[in-house]
This record gives sequence, C-alpha cells and structure tokens, in this order.
Amino acid sequence: MIIASVEAWVEAPLARYVEEARARLALLLHPSGQVVAQAGFTRAVDVMTACALAAAVNATASELGRQLDGRAFHGLFHSGAEKQFYLASVAICDSTYICLTVFDGESSLGLVRMYFSDLCRELTAAAPQPVTRAPALGLDFERDLNKNLAALFGRA
Amino acid sequence: MSSSSFGTVLESITRQRGVRASLIVSESDGLIIDANLRFGQDGDRIAALAASLYRKARLSAGAAWLGAVAFLQLDAERGRICVAGGRGDLIIVVVAEPAANVGLIRVELLKAVDQLE
Repeated sequence: MIIASVEAWVEAPLARYVEEARARLALLLHPSGQVVAQAGFTRAVDVMTACALAAAVNATASELGRQLDGRAFHGLFHSGAEKQFYLASVAICDSTYICLTVFDGESSLGLVRMYFSDLCRELTAAAPQPVTRAPALGLDFERDLNKNLAALFGRA
Repeated sequence: MSSSSFGTVLESITRQRGVRASLIVSESDGLIIDANLRFGQDGDRIAALAASLYRKARLSAGAAWLGAVAFLQLDAERGRICVAGGRGDLIIVVVAEPAANVGLIRVELLKAVDQLE
C-alpha cells in the first residue's frame, strides 16, 4: 500500500495502523482540509477531494455535537454496502487532526476503533515537542529599553 | 430480547468459577451489546478481537465445507477466550482463567446462545 506524508513522524504509526486495522484507505488531515498523510490513495485528486469532504463532514458533525451535547462529537461512522468509514479527531500536543479510515468486510468498526486509540497514543509519542518561544515582551523589557535608549542617545 | 434479558444470560455465565468476563457482541461490528466485566478488563478490546477471530473461523469453516461454527476456544498463557454464536449476528464471548472448567463454560455458553435466538 502506498503511504505518503508531509510530516515524517506520522508515517510509521499510520503504516502500522493501516496494517493492523486492515484499512483500505486512511487519511490524516488538518481540520482545514490540508493533508498531512495518506495511505492507499493512488491519485492526488482523490486525496484532495477526500480531504475537502472529510473536513466538511467533521465540521458539520462537530457543530452538531456542540449544539446537541455542548461539545464536539468525537467520532463518526458510516456504513455502505461494502465499504464503511470512521472519521475521528486526534489531539496531538496542542494541535487537532482528523483521521478518515475506510475499511470493508476484512475489518470491523470495533477493530478500527481499537487500533485508532493505539494510533492516537503512537502519534502523541512520535510528535515533535512544540517549540517554546520566549515571550515577546521579556521581564526585563523596560530595563533593556532604557539601557538601549541610553546607549543610542548617549545618556548612559 | 431486552437488555435485561441479556443481563440474565450473562449472569448465568459469569457465575461459573474462573470466568473473568462475559460479553454479548455484534459479530459484524465487533461492538459490545451488553457485558459483565470484572474490574480491569478492557471490554472494547476483547469484543473487537474476539468478534474478528470468530468471523475468521466461521469463514474458514465455510470455505473448508465444514459447516457452521458452534464453539471457538483460544487457550493462551494467562487465560482463555471462548466464543459461541448462533444463526444471527450476535456472539457470546467469555474470558476465563487458565484453570477454569471449559466443559461447564461450554455448556452454559451453548445454552445461552439458544436463549439469544
């Protein structure tokens, strides 16, 4: 199965997930619809379409959850004649991603959900730690400013 | 069958010595319909894996012209899983201690499957 990713740390956990859950297709994306990684797709246009549709479905389901339950629904499942899909969000560090998994009779919703929780754990462990930036205004801002002004205008 | 009837079926199985968990699971989805679990048992995981095992066994038996699967038993180092299913989508899963009496569990499981149908 072809697996491609924008972020290298996603690739191994996603490959393991697809293998263990016997998924036919998997897509990891930002809620905006921007793809992060994909498995099983053969054409770029299919990935773009699936991303746009998955983001839209997620936005709709999340808002419906907020209206009905006060918070976004965690997962969404649809069953077709042969294929089924499971759409759920993954919180990694301070970001949220969406994972779309398409599977058929080789797997089941129970298995996909089980391995999806493993995927969430593995992605959290593999994700690079967020860079801690220094505050824009440091504690010594005023003192530094006065020192710099004094140096610039010769009032030291 | 109501959920309270499922509870009665599960209780009769869980009463057997050495039974850690009993679950009624949808074979096609691997999701729990009703369960009687001891503390520390991960019901969702057991249900998903046992349903997958049973489905594979049923398909294999069918492919080998052996007919329907009545009872499936998996013996592992720290426990055993017994699964029985009938004609419908529901299966009954039991997780038991390695030293549990499988004969008694099997009898109870097959009786319970009859009650489900």
